[in-house]
Parts: sequence; structure tokens; C-alpha cells
Amino acid sequence: MTLILNDVTAIHWAVAGASIAAITLVLLWVSNHRLGISTGFEDVCSLVLDAPYFRRPAVLDARGWRLPFLGGLVLGGAVSAVLGGGWAPTWELGMFDERIGWGPAGKVAWMFVGGLFIGFGTRMAGGCTSGHGIFGLSNLELPSLVSTVSFMAAGLITTNLIYRVIF
Amino acid sequence: MVILYAVLGALFGLVLSRSGAADYDFIQGMFLLTNFQLYGIIGTAVALTAPGLYLLKRYGRTASGAPIAIELKPLHRGNVIGGVLFGIGWSITGMCPGPILVNIGEGKLYALAALAGALLGSAIFGVGYPRLAAPLGLPPLARGTGDG
Repeated sequence: MTLILNDVTAIHWAVAGASIAAITLVLLWVSNHRLGISTGFEDVCSLVLDAPYFRRPAVLDARGWRLPFLGGLVLGGAVSAVLGGGWAPTWELGMFDERIGWGPAGKVAWMFVGGLFIGFGTRMAGGCTSGHGIFGLSNLELPSLVSTVSFMAAGLITTNLIYRVIF
Repeated sequence: MVILYAVLGALFGLVLSRSGAADYDFIQGMFLLTNFQLYGIIGTAVALTAPGLYLLKRYGRTASGAPIAIELKPLHRGNVIGGVLFGIGWSITGMCPGPILVNIGEGKLYALAALAGALLGSAIFGVGYPRLAAPLGLPPLARGTGDG
């Protein structure tokens, strides 16, 4: 199956999984940090918000590594596009375009609402696919198993509602 | 070190971008149980990270010789409720937090809206923490829900 991005063919899952494991272990080995992306949203919030939650040392002290890591993710996506057929701004959204077919304004609203669920939910759960699903499960942490089962089940139900019931 | 974190992030972003983990159709295929790719990726990552972590913890030292200290995440009702809310958002957008940033880098304009939503959602949670802590059984504010 090809990606939405320039119809590039996806790399093998075993290569991707092994690479993610290597990055996770190197991050811990060189800097004593557990992999996790969603906490980075708090670090960004802490740049502009004064609420006590965003003034915690746990948030402020982590900005030094998490913000460059987050910037790296954006850079990695851009490099991937440049090396794989070229970078260009796009609204392409695969099966959403085929089945739901909303234009840019509809997509912005759809994605903003979804983003609210992601930001609020990951921070409440204390992690996302990386922090709970990869690091937490690998470290045999019960809260990560509970969270991972919860978000996988909710995703299964929601996507099946969207594409097998509603649209 | 800032450069190192940016490079690790960029490598992570490159893998997410090219593997389908940051692709709307692959994510929907995972949740529709019609595409094995993401299960293969997450399964392989966990299967290899787990023994690596075990060995690294046994070795007990970082590259600079400091003791390895992994802060464990707390267990509370927010794991289930927050997990469910996140799962709904992952399905709607086809992106989890890392891939939101990767998609922005790829040039997918709608991902900026997902990022705006995610930042506002995090802000609402953080501002509301003192009121959410008791009903959800969350740790004291100073600790928060943990890194991830």
C-alpha cells in the first residue's frame, strides 16, 4: 500500500519497528529520558500559559530536550517529503476525500475537533502511542497497558462508526 | 545536546512518515482491521524495546555514566477516560501526537488545525487539573500525569 505523501511505497513494518526501538533506547541511554511526545504539548503551552500546572519543574525542565525533539519531528516529515518526490503544501486526505469529501474548511474543523480530543485525552491519560504504547508497554507498566487498551478500543469503535456506519 | 535531540526527533519523524504511522489511510486501515502495517510496527517496536530496556536497566548507566532513572507513570481513572478520548481523536484525525508534527513537516495543511486543537486541549486539561484531580484520582499537581 502506498502513502498519501506522493504515493511513496511504505517501508516494511519490521524495519520501522526496529528503528523506533533503536531511537527509544538511544534516547534513554544518552540522556536518561523516556520517549514520549504528548507531554511536549504541555511544554509548548508553558511558553505562553501561567497556570500552576505549566509552571511545574517537570514541565519546565523538560523543555530543553522535548522542544528540539518536537522540532525534529517536523523536520523529519519535511526531509521525507523532499527526498520522496518533493515537498508541496497539500490538503490531500486519502479515503476521507473519497468517502466524506469535505473541502479545506470542513477538514480544518474536523481536524481541530479531533485535535482537542488528542490534547485533552493524552494529557489526562498521561501519555500517547509513544509514551504508553511503546515505552510504557516495553517497561511492563500497568497504567500503560490500561491506557493502550483504552485508546486502541476507542479508535476501533470510532473508525468503524465513521466508515462502516455513518459514511 | 540540543542538536542530538533534534536529530533523534528527525530520524523518528522520518520513520513515522515513511512507515504509514503518519498516514491517514494506514491509521484507518489499522482501526478497520484491514491493514496489518501499524500492528507490525508497534509490535516489533515493543518486542525489541522491552529486552533492550531490561538490559539497559540492568547495566544501569547512561552514556555519560549517570544512573538510569525511569519515572513510572501513575495509575488512575484518567488512564481509561483519557485513553478513550485520545483514541477517538486518533481515529478522527488519523494522527497521534508525533504524526501531527510529522504531517505538518510533510506539508499537510490540515495538520496545523489538529495541532491547534491538541494544544488547546492540553491547555484546558492543565488549567482544569486542580478540579479534575479529585474525581479522576490524579496525582498531586506537582507530579502531574507523567511524561509521555
